[in-house]
Amino acid sequence: MTQPPAVVVRDLHVRFGDVEAVSGVDLSADHGQSTALLGRNGAGKSTTMKVLAGVVPPTAGDVRVAGHDAATDALGVKRVVGYCPDVGGLVPRATPWEHLQLSARLRRMDDWEGRGRDLLERFELGDVAHRVVGGFSHGMSRRLSVVLAALHEPSVLLLDEPFDGVDPLGVEATLEVVADARARGACVLLSTHLRDLALEACGSAIVLRGGNRVAAMQAAELTGEAYRALLD
Amino acid sequence: MRSSTEPRRDGWADAVRDTAHLVRFRAGTVRRPRATVVGIAVVLLLTAFAALGPASVDAGATGSAAVDRALATLQGNLGSAFVGFLLLAIGSAVGSGGGRELLSRSEAAVHPVSPVTEHLGALLLAPVNLAWMVQLWALLAVTALVTPSDRLLGAQLVVVAWVLLATAAGQAVGWLVEGVRRTPHGVLAVRVVGGAVVATLAGLQVAGVLAPLARALPTTLLTDAARTGRWPLAVLVLLVLAGVVVVLGARPARWALAQPPREELRVQSGVHEARPAPEPRRGSPERALLRRLDRGSVWRSVGMRRGLLVLGIGPGLVALLAGLEWSTVILLPGLTASGAALLFGVNAWCLDGKGMVWRETLPVSAADVFDVRTLVVAECMAAVSGVTVLLALLRNGLPPLTVGVAVACCWAVVMGQVLSAVLTWSVRAPYSVDLSSPRATPAPHAAMAGYAGKLSLVTTVTAMLFTGLSTLPWAWVPAVVAVPFLAWSTRKLRRARRRWLAPAERARIVLTVAAV
Repeated sequence: MTQPPAVVVRDLHVRFGDVEAVSGVDLSADHGQSTALLGRNGAGKSTTMKVLAGVVPPTAGDVRVAGHDAATDALGVKRVVGYCPDVGGLVPRATPWEHLQLSARLRRMDDWEGRGRDLLERFELGDVAHRVVGGFSHGMSRRLSVVLAALHEPSVLLLDEPFDGVDPLGVEATLEVVADARARGACVLLSTHLRDLALEACGSAIVLRGGNRVAAMQAAELTGEAYRALLD
Repeated sequence: MRSSTEPRRDGWADAVRDTAHLVRFRAGTVRRPRATVVGIAVVLLLTAFAALGPASVDAGATGSAAVDRALATLQGNLGSAFVGFLLLAIGSAVGSGGGRELLSRSEAAVHPVSPVTEHLGALLLAPVNLAWMVQLWALLAVTALVTPSDRLLGAQLVVVAWVLLATAAGQAVGWLVEGVRRTPHGVLAVRVVGGAVVATLAGLQVAGVLAPLARALPTTLLTDAARTGRWPLAVLVLLVLAGVVVVLGARPARWALAQPPREELRVQSGVHEARPAPEPRRGSPERALLRRLDRGSVWRSVGMRRGLLVLGIGPGLVALLAGLEWSTVILLPGLTASGAALLFGVNAWCLDGKGMVWRETLPVSAADVFDVRTLVVAECMAAVSGVTVLLALLRNGLPPLTVGVAVACCWAVVMGQVLSAVLTWSVRAPYSVDLSSPRATPAPHAAMAGYAGKLSLVTTVTAMLFTGLSTLPWAWVPAVVAVPFLAWSTRKLRRARRRWLAPAERARIVLTVAAV
């Protein structure tokens, strides 16, 4: 039997006052697949991600994440999603371990400490696990955000600009997290400006422009020239 | 290294010009300019009222010996009150790490803002402070009350000139202490010296020589001169001194700002070993964990921790040492609770900073998040105002029943008023701020001035009402009067909570606070 898509978005509109950040996006993403979300600044990628994470309610349209309606069951969405926001995403005066502890307890995880430690080591954050994150560099904060998104092995993993300012070892660890998630059947949506890394991490790609979807294709088909043409 | 041909960028002319640019930039970012103008007008009106209003009361004409005694006491202590203002200015500047900043540290980092500009900005922002405004109004009001009407203008000009000098001096001392604090072992040195100063003052008070000593200071001569024809000379001398102190204050500012902020850096790189998840006897473990995180966000901030300690201990020590009567003590919980709320409560979500987006992705009910944050704000307010009441209790002993009920009811009422007001503001007008520096404020300066003015006015008027009720022979009256106040605050708080629970509203707050 075919599994329904993990993420289904139909005619999504998001409006902030007079500004329409997303105007009619359609997309679907399957379990066990990773999909890149590409586009220029202001294309609506991060806002779409925030809707999928249950942070911003859709103004109009239908958004289902692992079967949960984002408009009416935001709490259900938050339980199944792991989200790395595009900016910051960390409470400045808490330690990485406290972030992990809160995330795990609110998701009723009992044996999370081993996985938490393992992820921190993989992202080379083990030695700063008990230091407040206010003093972290941008790259360290990004890496910790990926760790937090992956901790509970979510069925939908949303990574918004996870490679931004991250060193090569951090990029490698993030690619591993994406591969692991896909291998256990999770749906991965990855938003980035870096086409090459998107192609490395994802099997398919969706390009947004001006709050609309302008293309959906296999990642391999997204050559540099094709991508450039879609952005203009 | 600066080239010998390169113009110097930290001269006074450049600093004045840069300060003007920063003020214009700040003014341009005010969200509600009309409300700001109204707020400034209200503050000016209140100042004018404090300066002129009491003069229309001919207290001496009552013929009452008690009133005459009270007037004589006020007149005799006016010089001490001048010293009190100076101590307040020093305390404010020291507590806020050298004074407020026109541009936050992260915003200013990419601009060539000189220490002299920082110094001038801090001086300009010194009045944006609840305690500063209340003290100014008190000085003006007392002066108006004890000065003959034909001498009033001169006397009030002396007050204004003194306030300018004291603010400049406080600022200079603030930079000096901040400079010391930023040296190796400086935090310890500041704590030891601060403790010694408090202990000395306490010792003088216990020995009964503090009040005579304060009255013997030159400020008493100054207040006497203010009521004579010598006031122009006094004003001139004070203004010249203020100018000199402003210029001299730039030196410690340069020294302090050239050093790394050790205490903040230590806190930012602070290690906090893992603790097991809390298992509370009452309430859910999740709420307990949220509470722990929120409390950590407060107490791990240098500015908030320092502010809470100063607010908790300062007014309490005054109540303890000066032997304030319950009729005065009743004013303090509202003011200290307001002060605590102004540290972060007026923009309560800013505790999470950019982490607010991540917190919003956690599977926890929005109601729990609101309730826990409200509780943590209330805890801070209750802690600082509670210390004040406790120290007053130690000094005065148990009050008579009616007074005791009035104090307890007033405390509960002002707590409710402040809590409901600040949570309403937090939901209605959130701001993205970085509170890593103790010089930062949880909202823009214009908004902070508005918040401070509203809170001080409401809590002072409420406290005055309960002071009146405490003189009645019926102990039940204050309790009955408190009920509608508490009901109104509860209604207001519930309305703020409902607004937070609406997903679209919450998203607006989250995105604003996280600045994404």
